[in-house]
Amino acid sequence: MDEVLSRDSAAVEQLPAEIFKPKPARAAPPSTLGVQGWVRQNMFSSIPNALVTVLGIWIVYAFFDTILTWAVGNAVWEAENRRQCLDLVGRSGACWPGVIAWIPNLIYGLYPKDQVWRINLAGVILLLWALPLWLPRVQSKVQIGLSLVLLFPLLASYLFLGGEKGVIWSALIALGLAGFLWTLLTAATETISGLSFGRYAVAAIGFGGDNDPARRNGQIAALLALYVVALIAVQAMSLSFVATRAWGGLFLTLVISGIGIAFSLPAGIVLALGRRSRMPLISMLSTTFIELFRSVPLITILFTFNTMLPLFLPVGVEVNQLLRAIVAVCLFSSAYMAEVIRGGLQAIPRGQYEAASAMGLGFWQSTGLVIMPQALKIMIPTIVGNFIGLFKDTTLVSIVGLFDLLSMSRAVGEDTRWLGLFLEPFFFITMIYFVVCFTMSQYSLNLEQRLSAGERR
Amino acid sequence: MTDAVRGEPPVEMIGVNKWFGAFHVLKDIDLRVREGERIVVCGPSGSGKSTMIRCINQLERHQEGTIRVHGRAYGRDLRENDAIRREIGMVFQSFNLFPHLSVLDNCTFALTWVKHLPKKEAEDRAMEMLTRVRIPEQAGKYPLQLSGGQQQRVAIARALCAQPKIMLFDEPTSSLDPEMINEVLDAMVELAESGMTMIVVTHEMGFARKVADRVIFMDQGEIVEEAPPAQFFDAPRFDRTRLFLSQVL
Ligand SMILES: Nc1ncnc2c1ncn2[C@@H]1O[C@H](COP(=O)(O)OP(=O)(O)OP(=O)(O)O)[C@@H](O)[C@H]1O
Ligand SMILES: [Mg+2]
Repeated sequence: MDEVLSRDSAAVEQLPAEIFKPKPARAAPPSTLGVQGWVRQNMFSSIPNALVTVLGIWIVYAFFDTILTWAVGNAVWEAENRRQCLDLVGRSGACWPGVIAWIPNLIYGLYPKDQVWRINLAGVILLLWALPLWLPRVQSKVQIGLSLVLLFPLLASYLFLGGEKGVIWSALIALGLAGFLWTLLTAATETISGLSFGRYAVAAIGFGGDNDPARRNGQIAALLALYVVALIAVQAMSLSFVATRAWGGLFLTLVISGIGIAFSLPAGIVLALGRRSRMPLISMLSTTFIELFRSVPLITILFTFNTMLPLFLPVGVEVNQLLRAIVAVCLFSSAYMAEVIRGGLQAIPRGQYEAASAMGLGFWQSTGLVIMPQALKIMIPTIVGNFIGLFKDTTLVSIVGLFDLLSMSRAVGEDTRWLGLFLEPFFFITMIYFVVCFTMSQYSLNLEQRLSAGERR
Repeated sequence: MTDAVRGEPPVEMIGVNKWFGAFHVLKDIDLRVREGERIVVCGPSGSGKSTMIRCINQLERHQEGTIRVHGRAYGRDLRENDAIRREIGMVFQSFNLFPHLSVLDNCTFALTWVKHLPKKEAEDRAMEMLTRVRIPEQAGKYPLQLSGGQQQRVAIARALCAQPKIMLFDEPTSSLDPEMINEVLDAMVELAESGMTMIVVTHEMGFARKVADRVIFMDQGEIVEEAPPAQFFDAPRFDRTRLFLSQVL
């Protein structure tokens, strides 16, 4: 064995070896270190470079100086109407009182003022529901994530819409509420003891050994009890009906883009797999769908759904206008997402499939456990880019008569008190769009870095 | 070698033919592997070596002939096929470790998802196999943080975790730098000495001479010659084999 495996050793052992001493490392020249070194190397390394630096700084300064003078320096903060603003500073400063007066509408649209707490409550629930996903000791993250995507919409739609609830609708709302309670309880019990809510409940009551069938039944009983509690709570709740026509502003924008985002990722995964399927019918259908929706502008799809859909439906069946827009946005964004995910799938070498199937994993297991996690990971920047695009594209729903953030901001200038006040509301919503989109893109960068920590060579 | 075969042979290929489109890659392959036998497959590039061993665990489907593993033949039943291939471990030229999982998770992967072992048990076995290929200290790292030789040893450990009865190797050292070849060959020699049934496609003739019970030479989709290593290297029958050996030795 030694003779075989040390093939090259014979040649090396002839002369007495000289000893190799590596040179000691020296410190780098000081002019290349620290802030000063960086500035000198990167901003003033040559005369043209220095000129560009100076020019750049001047442009940035001039730009921000102009904006800040208008938005802060000369701005008016208190006034009864636009006339007063103009009398005080003319057009040299912003007239913020109009925007401030309209902020509730910019955020909630025409949602009744005394009911706005329902939207805020849904927002708080959403945050609390998502929070455990970032808690280190929580283990059931997959279940929590799934419950968030599948069950939160049930609870939220009731909070937003209110009104009469039949038996089935109540059961669904209760499912949403139960999912929320389960998430909170599980996050708590797993942080305390490492056991999910069901197991913890069983352990607390003190059932027999690990393999006791009573344990399983006990867990089911605990979950059922939770559902019954939720059902009773839902029965006791009674919210007045708010028609979707009153929804608007940032709230509406978030509803449409939130549903679009939550829907497009799973639907995109299904479509991408469908397109790559070896079954010709499935692959053809997926491809047709994707190509159809990708080759038409979103505006056209919105229009088509808005005006043509009723023609295909039986007389008397009325589909809510918001729902039509949401369906259009969902289909459009799924088609785009499908192509992004297909790109990710194509980047995964064949060897990964082969290794998985050589282990005896079936198609769904290989796809779900080996291929998809890698494909989604390399595609995070593009996926989040698509989310950002979708968030901004929702501004197009204004053309089918929905009052999203953008159209709400135009309404300010049509108010008789603030007639002609367009620039300030635009500036304000620009800030909102910027904050939301920038947060998403920063989060995606952060996610990318954390997930690829193991892959740095 | 005794001819007495205990029970069904681990691998049996009878009249196997395979085409890629119109191209006839495997022509009437007959191969019978005995329990604990170590077979080295060699031959020029494109001769169908990879295709042949990939047929043994059905990464490639053959069109004619029968392949049996411990007496069970591959057929139309996909679940049965998956069950058969779980008897077989495979090591690839390009390692094919899962880059998104740590070394330990790579090793426990099949145990967790195919054999449904509890976490603790799976990790114990994974550590045992990593120790066997001499890299237990790398368990927490990710595959791309390791050298090629280390990655290939992890791949061997990962395949061994599922306790296969047969191991297939497709040029396991061909994409390694020369200094790393030996550490992988060492692990394979150790495995051979433990009595594993192995089919190895390789150009490492030293390994073949030392470890193989039988060397198979393939050309243009056919098994040209098969013989024990001494005879194969010192007195090959066919001119084609002699030409090949004169090029690689
Ligand atoms: N998926 C495929 N589709 C079409 N032809 C293929 C495919 N895989 C392999 N071939 C062809 O089949 C022949 C045999 O390939 P195979 O990979 O088995 O050769 P090999 O003996 O392993 O060669 P190497 O030493 O280069 O790995 C080659 O001519 C190759 O081009
Ligand atoms: Mg090959």
